[in-house]
Amino acid sequence: MKEPMQDTGQSAFEARSRELFHDSVDAMDMRMRSRLTQARHAALDAAAAAKRRPWFLRIGTWTPAAGVTAAVLLGAALWFSLPGGNHGLTAADSQPSLEDLDIVASSDEGAGDAIEMLQNDLDFYDFSDKASNSGPAA
Amino acid sequence: MAQVALRDPDDALDVVQDAMLKLARSYASRPSAEWRPLFYRILENGIRDLQRRRTVRKKFMVWLPGTQEDPDNDAQDPLDNVPDGGPDAPELMMQGQAMEQLEVSLRALPARQREAFMLRNFEGLDVAETATAMGCSEGSVKTHYSRAVHALREHLSEVW
Repeated sequence: MKEPMQDTGQSAFEARSRELFHDSVDAMDMRMRSRLTQARHAALDAAAAAKRRPWFLRIGTWTPAAGVTAAVLLGAALWFSLPGGNHGLTAADSQPSLEDLDIVASSDEGAGDAIEMLQNDLDFYDFSDKASNSGPAA
Repeated sequence: MAQVALRDPDDALDVVQDAMLKLARSYASRPSAEWRPLFYRILENGIRDLQRRRTVRKKFMVWLPGTQEDPDNDAQDPLDNVPDGGPDAPELMMQGQAMEQLEVSLRALPARQREAFMLRNFEGLDVAETATAMGCSEGSVKTHYSRAVHALREHLSEVW
């Protein structure tokens, strides 16, 4: 049951605790050993049975597909169950976002100025980067 | 490992048996190199589930009358009385005491550190396998393990 040490740098403490653990496993009583053996046999039988079953009958194969289907059905049920065709986003909801877009895109007044300032800043950062790369100013 | 975490041999055996069955049913087709870390991952999940269930059960049991367990009602397993051929009694006692101290110290550790120590040191898994079993990165395994060794060494240096 004992295994060789894996780490060359394993300390005496680690080696001792490992040895103690394996001794305690070796000293395990008959009842425990018997139950573990039974468990192992049961697991081996289960594995053999699982292998004999055709692939389309294995639960594991269908679990992800069933999950996705359930999620889609739930989503559809919630969507269509909302009263009066109210599907979450109304015309009033969408209005402010269009307005926001308008402000950002407009080239006059504040937004245009902001874009211009951003452009200036980029020029400044570019200049600053070149200046710092070329070393101290002569 | 399960016994250290659960402190009950019967519960530990049940969890181990469940883990074996789950591994066999769900992962028998996987390459055999993956079985060990997968088994320990299933086992750790089982241990955590049982610990959570115990906590919930305890909370409810406090409020229910007449729920004290009677130790005399436990059915005796005939295998309990079978003598086991092992090392001598004094040697066993020494080993038993040292292991008991180790178990006490292990239980005092945070769960992740305990898992990392038991998987790496007791079960002999390498860092990659331990990471798979614990569902975390290899870096985390190294950190948990090193902290566990440090804490245990400190705790046991006086008694060992």
